[in-house]
Amino acid sequence: MASAGPPENPFADLDSHIQKLLKCEPLPEADVKALCEKAKEILAEESNVQPVRCPVTVCGDIHGQFNDLLELFRIGGDSPNTNYLFMGDYVDRGYHSVETVSLLVALKVRFRDRITILRGNHESRQITQVYGFYDECLRKYGSADVWKAFTDLFDYLPLTGLVEGKVGGIFCLHGGLSPTMEALDHIRALDRIQEVPHEGPMCDLLWSDPDDRGGWGISPRGAGYTFGADISASFNHANGLDLISRAHQLVMEGYNWSHEQAVVTIFSAPNYCYRCGNLAAIMEVSDDMSRTFQKFEPAPRRGEPETAFRPGGATPDYFL
Amino acid sequence: MAADDSLLPIAILIDELKSDEPLRRLNSISRLGLIAQALGEERTRSELIPFLSENVDDEDEVLLAQAEQLGNFVPYVGGPQYAYLLLPLLETLSTVEETVVRDKAVESLGKVGSSMPDSHACEHFVPIVKAELRQLYTQLCRDETPMVRRAAAQRLGGFAKVMEREYCSRELMPLFTDLTQDDQDSVRLLAVESCGAFAQALGQAEATSHLLPIIHKFAQDKSWRVRYNVAQQLVVLCDALGTDVTRSELTPNFVRLLRDSEAEVRVAAAGKVSAFSKLLTPQQIVTSVIPCVRELSMDSSQYVRAALAGVVMEMAPVLGKQLTIDHLVPTFLTLLKDMYPDVRLNVISKLDQVNQVIGIDLLAQSLLPAIEELAEDKHWRVRLAIVEHIPLLASQLGPDFFQEKLGPQCMKSLEDQVASIREAATRTLQKVAAEFGSEWARDHLVPHVLALIKNPHYLYRMTVLVAISMLATIVSQDVLCNVMLPVLTNAAKDKVPNVKFNVAKIMEKLSGLVGRNVLESTIRPVLLELCEDGDMDVRFYARQALYACDHGGQA
Repeated sequence: MASAGPPENPFADLDSHIQKLLKCEPLPEADVKALCEKAKEILAEESNVQPVRCPVTVCGDIHGQFNDLLELFRIGGDSPNTNYLFMGDYVDRGYHSVETVSLLVALKVRFRDRITILRGNHESRQITQVYGFYDECLRKYGSADVWKAFTDLFDYLPLTGLVEGKVGGIFCLHGGLSPTMEALDHIRALDRIQEVPHEGPMCDLLWSDPDDRGGWGISPRGAGYTFGADISASFNHANGLDLISRAHQLVMEGYNWSHEQAVVTIFSAPNYCYRCGNLAAIMEVSDDMSRTFQKFEPAPRRGEPETAFRPGGATPDYFL
Repeated sequence: MAADDSLLPIAILIDELKSDEPLRRLNSISRLGLIAQALGEERTRSELIPFLSENVDDEDEVLLAQAEQLGNFVPYVGGPQYAYLLLPLLETLSTVEETVVRDKAVESLGKVGSSMPDSHACEHFVPIVKAELRQLYTQLCRDETPMVRRAAAQRLGGFAKVMEREYCSRELMPLFTDLTQDDQDSVRLLAVESCGAFAQALGQAEATSHLLPIIHKFAQDKSWRVRYNVAQQLVVLCDALGTDVTRSELTPNFVRLLRDSEAEVRVAAAGKVSAFSKLLTPQQIVTSVIPCVRELSMDSSQYVRAALAGVVMEMAPVLGKQLTIDHLVPTFLTLLKDMYPDVRLNVISKLDQVNQVIGIDLLAQSLLPAIEELAEDKHWRVRLAIVEHIPLLASQLGPDFFQEKLGPQCMKSLEDQVASIREAATRTLQKVAAEFGSEWARDHLVPHVLALIKNPHYLYRMTVLVAISMLATIVSQDVLCNVMLPVLTNAAKDKVPNVKFNVAKIMEKLSGLVGRNVLESTIRPVLLELCEDGDMDVRFYARQALYACDHGGQA
């Protein structure tokens, strides 16, 4: 007989952590640290251009909007039943960066082949000290240790992912292209285990934006570049790609095509910062690489006033 | 140490209680327990306590120490039976100017009070607290700071509830009247909030004569926030004032609030239409409330319409079938077609209540077209609500009707783009199958469900697997083994790992439903193969399932 299967579930602790996090309860500090160590081992094995098999659902910025992440799962399906690829920016700005990033990392450790988590420009020591994640860790844990554990882990996150099917490919990353990275192999050769630098290819991949103007331009963000349709077209052609999928920019409809459908921007934080009034979206890439988009609104919030989100501008008049 | 302390030093301590040096007095007072112990219970009661009572004009620090010591003094005066002797002294301490001393004294009063026998507590303790509280409360209600008056107004209802009725009308009524005339609307609106509880405390007769004029005035207050609170409180007030007053005096106020110029007030009032209507006669509802309801269903604010949609059908039982059909169903239909999803959702959530009153035939006739439309709603939560209501409708309308109208709708929901709706649809199928029986399910549900396994998208194929696991508990062994299992066995060869590990999970569930030979001939070979899969999650779930098969479902 096949030496009767393992009687106990080796993932029992992890499964109970995930259940706790799904209720938006932060994990104890010691568990977070252990989780980050385990995640480091797993992420260290991944490539700078991590191969991802279709079918998969591709998502953009979350920014600590935990309730909206749960809404995303309600729309797209639960992990691990649905495969996910997240393109960075899990933390900062929203109220629940800790729970959001803990959940995604826990899912990664539990189901490494079912979920891919890339690095965004907010997965950085510098940025998180300004936009909220550092303060939230301090508030929820009383010290910066958890912040340190997570930001140390962020250095290991892959920079890009490549969704492959029988034909073509979708190149997924947080920001955009870099003038020095013409081929995927150039990206594969980068040493990524470090804080996001202020300049250079690694910085560009996490900071750049597509632009209506052709060629390379100076980014108004002060980091990365803007790149035109010509750049996207030749990058896709040179690397045998169909599409560049990226996040990083708020788009009102949740997703937005640019560069003659060579680039798509996906943003998965509805009503960004609880006030922008935007829809969120996810891109479902099916078994045969066909793509469908799903748009969604913020999750209804019990007990909160409903005045913050009004698509179509139907704000009650006393707010004007 | 104890032996040393007990003899000579005690005499010194007692002497030093009268010392001119505050520091020495403090030292003695801090050991008051020791002194009392030395004096004995009898002398503590007859000498020490009176002595202390005469000397409360001391330094704050000394008084603080004293207040603290007295909290633990019950044993020294002879136990709970004599605890009341400590009260006057502590009471005096609780009125000194220094707050720290007062705090400590109150804390000790609490300690002493809680150790007293109930009868003593009532006799000695409660009156102190009551008199004190009353006086204090009067002061607070007339405080010059609006914030204080606001806090006082907020507590009026709760305070009235625990005080004697006589006190309420004699002393609280004037205070309440003052608060209702406060120039700050924030104070007035909190006074309104207390109205309901206050009316209950006063009793019907008195409440009617004293409160009614105030309510009339409030309902027309120039501040909308005050009017909003009146709308919130009105039903409680109705209860307190009785049916007659409600029908004759309060109804006009309610109608006025339903037509208020401020949307917020209309929201609050609209949310009360049913609760209020329950106190009226059907005829009165039709003449005074229904016209407003009709207007509100077309209100310019979607929040008003949503509030109305959430409660309006609860009026049906009061109105009875015919009046409901004549007067409510049209409003209901209007709200079902509202452009805001929250309004539609609120209506749908009350479908079963409508059904109870007007009966399913009429519901089907008048509402089904609207419901079919809603099943295609662009807002996913509306579609979800409809899917979740299908079992209810199905059980009322019967299998034929289901097949004709709801069945196709259900199948569509199994292929909805939103995962939660697909999931809800599988649960709905299970309930419908349970309602109509295994043979009906075999003929009318299973083939349609299984056909969807050919969907090119893995998420939809997995929904079929879940649906199978739901229906498996209802269909016969024959259908399970000969129709469903082959589909699962096939799905175990799917190219997407997610489908394969869901097969493993579902086989684990089914293992308890099939016979030993099917388990051995069909389920186990599939699981064994999945245990060798290239994907780690497939291997994991297959091993879990296999283990469960071997150990009677205890994974």
